[in-house]
Amino acid sequence: MTDTSLEPAAAPSPVVAEEATPRQPGAPMIVFEDVTKIYEPNIKALDRVSLTIDKGEFVFLVGPSGSGKSTMMRLLLKELEPTSGRIIVGGRELARLKRSKVPMLRRNLGCVFQDFKLLPNRTAYENVAYALKVQGESKRGIRTKVPEVLGLVGLSSKMSHMPDELSGGEQQRVSIARAFVNHPPLLICDEPTGNLDPDTSVGIMQLLYRINRTGTTVLMATHDREMVDKMRRRVIALEEGVVVRDERRGGYG
Amino acid sequence: MRTKLFVTEALRSIQSNLSTAIAATLTVVIGMFLLGLFIALGTWVLSYTNDVKRQLIVNVYFCTETSCGVGKNEANQRQMEAVRQQLVAMPEVKDVKFISREEALEIMRERSPALVENIVSNPLPASYQVIPHRGEDVSAIAAQLEPPPVGVEKVNYGEKEAGRVLQVAKVVGAIFVVGSAILIVASVLLIANTIRLSIFARRREVEVMKLVGATNWFVRGPFMLEGLMTGLVGSLVAVVLLLIAKEVALPAVIQRTDLTNDEVRALAFPLIALIMIGTSLLVGAIGSGITLRRFLKI
Repeated sequence: MTDTSLEPAAAPSPVVAEEATPRQPGAPMIVFEDVTKIYEPNIKALDRVSLTIDKGEFVFLVGPSGSGKSTMMRLLLKELEPTSGRIIVGGRELARLKRSKVPMLRRNLGCVFQDFKLLPNRTAYENVAYALKVQGESKRGIRTKVPEVLGLVGLSSKMSHMPDELSGGEQQRVSIARAFVNHPPLLICDEPTGNLDPDTSVGIMQLLYRINRTGTTVLMATHDREMVDKMRRRVIALEEGVVVRDERRGGYG
Repeated sequence: MRTKLFVTEALRSIQSNLSTAIAATLTVVIGMFLLGLFIALGTWVLSYTNDVKRQLIVNVYFCTETSCGVGKNEANQRQMEAVRQQLVAMPEVKDVKFISREEALEIMRERSPALVENIVSNPLPASYQVIPHRGEDVSAIAAQLEPPPVGVEKVNYGEKEAGRVLQVAKVVGAIFVVGSAILIVASVLLIANTIRLSIFARRREVEVMKLVGATNWFVRGPFMLEGLMTGLVGSLVAVVLLLIAKEVALPAVIQRTDLTNDEVRALAFPLIALIMIGTSLLVGAIGSGITLRRFLKI
């Protein structure tokens, strides 16, 4: 751990300063402040993690299985509560968010998973439309936005296919389309290329890159060494629940 | 707007899980048919035992010239009136009917003409038929006329038979109450469990819905509506089956028995149907709502 190089942006003092004015442009998208998560009885998934991710960043979260990547994702979705510490997403402290407001949080937070998590009995179109329906989008809005975003991910010709009629890469595109259809400020991806072959993965990465270019912050947990080395983006490495490395233009390590 | 969305979502879910939906509906049909059958049968039996109990009366026989022994006379008007007053004052007594000696003879003549053919004088006493509010009270009424007031020869309420009738009625009543309780609980559990299983099979779907930002009610609505539809369709089929049983099977059975007493009847069919439909709707909606609670905690 001697080679750990924390950048100033992740140090505690600027975090506190920025947090006082959370809604200003350039304010951080995600702030973790001394976050510890212990799964009962005594499994420490995250140990005093502090980090800041700014708006518009593209961040890789790397580390071996069990290092706490998925726990971070689930904390961001408020699927779990931290044992101690503060998590601030888009200027809102998650602990202060009422349970009834959690759906609102998730509508502003696209998420993509390794296993796609598509609804099995719905077509690609309906899967994307569902994310709009849950927030009361009008029929007209659905009719224009869904084909648009499916076109963006390159699935215009397969809108009426069921998930099991699509390849893995295509299913992941549907799930990215679903995550992006609201144009959320933050997209979190939990090993989105974990089930895909290298060529397909490149396509998915290009898609995420394009989404990032529209201004969406992308946080992506991954095991894909090649991809991380090629992209040269910010890399945060976790090991046994501790941030061991945080580099602006890092490699997998 | 939202209701329409829920309906289409519920219909879609039934359509895409058709075999589960049919299985759940059949469970409702069976459960509700049994429930309806038991209610009909049970209320009929209760009504029958009540009818039997209604036939339990206390007879108060007055002295004739000879019946009360030497030195005692036929009971006079004053004595009879005194007994009547005493009876009417009892809270258990519903009605007191006077049967004169002539009427008694008339009744006897109708029942068994051979016995009264050759008699020269009327040997039968005048009597009161005391009708209690509840069949169980006959012994209490009789006990209050002990020892017999002046002019009363004897008080009779068919002790042995009454005891047996009351005991049978009690047992039948208990069986009905326990049986229907068991049946209601069993059918409710059966239906709730079927719904539970069908939701359990789709818990990943619920998880996904929650992750894309659906509120609990948005997830719950279609599921509960589906439970309602299952309950409605299932109980309607059960009602139709029960109606067929009532119209076709029942007359065939009744013809072979002498159960043609108009006083004895089951709970009215529309009421039974209403209970069946109500129960299944409640179980369908609440069952799915409660089951979902566990999966919604994401």
